[in-house]
Amino acid sequence: MKIFLKIVFFCILVFSGFVGFANFGIPQVKSAPPPTEEKLDLGNMTMDQFIALGDKVFNGKGTCTLCHNNVGKRAPMLDGAGEEAVANRAPLRLKDPRYKGKATTPEEYLRESMKTPSAFVVAGFGSDNDTKSPMPVVTQGSIGLSDAEVDAVIAFLQNKSGVEVTVKIPVGAPPSEKAEEAKPAEPAKTPEEVIVKFGCGACHKIGKEEGAIGPDLTHVGKSKNESYLRRAVLDPNADIAKNCPGGAPCVPGMMPPDFGAKMTGSEFEMLVQYLVKSK
Amino acid sequence: MYESDIANAEEAVKSEAKATEAVKEGEKKAEYPPAPKLTAADYPQIGGFNSRILVWIVAQLHLWFAAFVLAVPIFVLIIEAIGMATKDQRYDNMAYEFIKVSMAAYSITAIMGGLLTFSLLIFYPDLFKYLTSLFSRSMLAYAFLFFAESASLYVYYYGWHWLEGGFKKWVHLTIGLVLNFVGTVLMLFANAWVTFSMSPNGVDPGTGAFLGSEWDVIHNFLWNPLNLHRVVANIAYGGSIIGAYAAYKFLGSASKEDRAHYDWMGYTSNIIAVGGLLPLPFAGYWLVKEIYAYSQQMGITLMGGVFAWLFIMQAVLIGALFLSVNYYLWCGMGRSEGSVRYTKNIKWIAAAVVACFLVWFTPHTLVLTNQELKALGGPYHKYLGPLGIMPAKNTAVNIMIIMTFLSFTLYRRVNKIATVSWADAGSAVQAAIFAGGIGNIIFLGVYHGYFTNTAYKVASSIPQVSSTAVVIIATLIIDSMMFKGAKEVAPLRWGNVPARSQYALFTLAVSFTWLMGLMGYIRSGIRQHWHVNSIMRDNSINAFTPTIGYAAQVVTLAAVIFMAIVIFIFWLSNISSKKSAAH
Amino acid sequence: MKLPKLLQAVLVVVGVYIAFKLVFSVGLKQPLPSSLLTMYMFFVVVATLLVTTATEESAQEMAAPIKALVEDPGKKTIRNIVFVLVPLLAGWMTYSKLAPSFEAPVELRTIHPAPPATMKAFGKSYDLLKLENPLRKYQKEDPEKFRTYVKEGGAVYYKNCHYCHGDKLNGRGQYAPGFNPMPANFQDVGTIAQLQESFLFWRISTGGPGLPKEATPWLSAMPV
Repeated sequence: MKIFLKIVFFCILVFSGFVGFANFGIPQVKSAPPPTEEKLDLGNMTMDQFIALGDKVFNGKGTCTLCHNNVGKRAPMLDGAGEEAVANRAPLRLKDPRYKGKATTPEEYLRESMKTPSAFVVAGFGSDNDTKSPMPVVTQGSIGLSDAEVDAVIAFLQNKSGVEVTVKIPVGAPPSEKAEEAKPAEPAKTPEEVIVKFGCGACHKIGKEEGAIGPDLTHVGKSKNESYLRRAVLDPNADIAKNCPGGAPCVPGMMPPDFGAKMTGSEFEMLVQYLVKSK
Repeated sequence: MYESDIANAEEAVKSEAKATEAVKEGEKKAEYPPAPKLTAADYPQIGGFNSRILVWIVAQLHLWFAAFVLAVPIFVLIIEAIGMATKDQRYDNMAYEFIKVSMAAYSITAIMGGLLTFSLLIFYPDLFKYLTSLFSRSMLAYAFLFFAESASLYVYYYGWHWLEGGFKKWVHLTIGLVLNFVGTVLMLFANAWVTFSMSPNGVDPGTGAFLGSEWDVIHNFLWNPLNLHRVVANIAYGGSIIGAYAAYKFLGSASKEDRAHYDWMGYTSNIIAVGGLLPLPFAGYWLVKEIYAYSQQMGITLMGGVFAWLFIMQAVLIGALFLSVNYYLWCGMGRSEGSVRYTKNIKWIAAAVVACFLVWFTPHTLVLTNQELKALGGPYHKYLGPLGIMPAKNTAVNIMIIMTFLSFTLYRRVNKIATVSWADAGSAVQAAIFAGGIGNIIFLGVYHGYFTNTAYKVASSIPQVSSTAVVIIATLIIDSMMFKGAKEVAPLRWGNVPARSQYALFTLAVSFTWLMGLMGYIRSGIRQHWHVNSIMRDNSINAFTPTIGYAAQVVTLAAVIFMAIVIFIFWLSNISSKKSAAH
Repeated sequence: MKLPKLLQAVLVVVGVYIAFKLVFSVGLKQPLPSSLLTMYMFFVVVATLLVTTATEESAQEMAAPIKALVEDPGKKTIRNIVFVLVPLLAGWMTYSKLAPSFEAPVELRTIHPAPPATMKAFGKSYDLLKLENPLRKYQKEDPEKFRTYVKEGGAVYYKNCHYCHGDKLNGRGQYAPGFNPMPANFQDVGTIAQLQESFLFWRISTGGPGLPKEATPWLSAMPV
């Protein structure tokens, strides 16, 4: 028994030596807490996360890069370096004699250009002598960004171009995820609604929309039959129209190929019948 | 998530019916789901338990027992074979006693494995589900292999005296071989689960969805380095625990025969532990090199980041191991009167070991007070800074190994005098080999460390290790020839050692246990906030990486529980032998 | 006359301590940090104890004076003095450890912190795990071209870095004495040897502000 106690005492002594050294002999390094994941929990967001959110929206949900890219030159570049960065151009735009908008600061200019794209059209990119922008309003239709997401995109663009980020993280804004989720629940009831919902007018001239990137669809039913139109919506790259507005040849891959997956059957049917009747 | 949890964790799966069900469930799904994304709410909080600490401790206990239980049959088989070859019944008896100790530990390993499975199922259900979906087949195989392991162990142990003599002994040895084979395969499976969490393979890197080939998942990048490291470490660890057992029995036995027997047993297990300990730094070196190659981020987290100071802790522990091994050998010289010829050398060996140890222990980043910072003119010490890097450490550890081997060589000749005609010349050659080896190691370390391009800094390690190996092998060969038919000057009296030396054996076992716990924490901790590195995130409230002190406390708590159970097992074997003696 | 074992042991320990002090503080003018010296001395003491107790005779010789001190009735005066002095010494050590001082707490820096998996610089996102130096391939393919790139790199260094890190790359540039901690010494044979180029890219392009917390970004003067 005496030996047993002696051994137990000895073991505990050795252990306490080790623990003592580990606790007091060497410095304690606290590692940084695990990085938090981006969530639309705006209340707890840091600016870095907010900018990262903007990055995500810009490249994803906002579909901005569909046109603002280097491939088609459909719209001015926004997120490049130096001259290509829109936040660097914003102050110059405000002084531009052609500028007719209400914005007074670069931040407001950026917001305005997303919410009312035609307030200022960069030379060479609009129709009607550069007074009408082909860009859809990002807070409406299929894009449907929330105000918070628009702010995040501004923050992203400002950060990217190196100017000071002036946007404030909105507090208590409704989480945009919900708004997005609610949409598919109610299918459009008229062909016009379908066109608005899926943002066809962003590129095409159709109905009241005045898009000027893709082929004019106002009289498409005259020359194309129903099966062609079905295919053109479901698989846009199957046939490429020869002439796009401005006389340039149309670029393959511009039109999103996933409308077939996004539309409901009745929406698709309504849209095709509408196009067939557009003579 | 910690320690080997995930990992050895599933080691626990065993025959658990639940796991089998999960496996079936996984097989039914034709398409493989991505790794789940969890929130803090997905981790059940039950009864105020800290789930991470609970799983950590249980996993660590399971690992310790499993390492012990897997290692013992390896050297039991070897000792049994030696006993068969030399026809020395003592070896056979000792081998039997070794396996007897591990029998009680075997059932505790299984209990701990079951506990671990349950605690993972309870506290980390989603992670467990994900892993079972990936490892469905190997977990099923694991369960069956566990039966095979149990069966062969029971036949091997209970059939020891039944299968004795002639052909029957061969059958017994074969069963031992099967037992070791099955045990090793079991460990390889469990290792695959561990390394998958560090270097995932065979799953979609973006989503973590299984790609269909389970072999790819098992054969991940760090699997083989870890396999080697664990086999070697298990042997050293098993030896040290058996050594503690022998020490315990030695201190408790009154009769001369018993003392002699347990002294000899302790000595043998110490040799086994040292045999495993010597190659261990190099197996570890390979593992870390592969971790670097897999992910530089992980490597730097390990060596230069948050965990850098843990290596100072590790250095202290390994120093403690080396010192206690040497001390045990020095004390053991007292078994023979002939030792007086050599004891005066002890202090020089000790001085060399300590000098190497101090070099090994010197950190690259020093803890400085502001005054010292001013006195030094910066955070770097001009003369100590160079000691903090790899070439210096490699040099130190190699010389430390050679010095320990020198202690062993001297120990082996305390009771003998060589009678061959060239004895003096032979000793001179041996001395020259030692001097040359150490000289070469120092030259390589200094040359590569300080006079070459930075890209070649680690190039010295392989030639240094080879020098060490040459010194050890050459000395052993010369020794075996020189002491053939040597005259015995004073008999080696087993049992004639001071009780102090037995505490050295305890220090060895205790330090080894603690060291394993700590290194296990590091291995697991470098994943940081990931369950499965960069595939499945740990979103529980315990996802933070703890400080060294915190980890040390948890490891100590686990180690104390472990030692308590181990001493309990020793005590159990004591009363069982008392009963059989009374009959 | 042969010195008693215990005295020998004490002399060895004290001798080693004085040697450390003499060699480092006086001889090399680079004193040993106290934290390290404490640990060094701890192991020297342990090793001395191990050596002196390795054989039975020397262990008894060691213990004899201590035994005598406690048990010998003739040594009453010395015993009393020792029994007062030892607790006092322990008390003094405890006091000096706990007494508050004006010394700033020891600060710990991780010099080479772990890099993040991805980083952003120059408006682009880089995957540090896969990032490779695009110019490195010329070292083998076109050594001539590689040399010109190295030269250009040298020019960039002298334009931007050498003010602090020094023209000998030794961290002793002309502004270096003004900083605490000192600028990194690239001649140091430290862990930099094992750092990959992607790590260096991360460190150079994000500078002090890009350091993680454990590397104390607030102490770094390195610009982005």
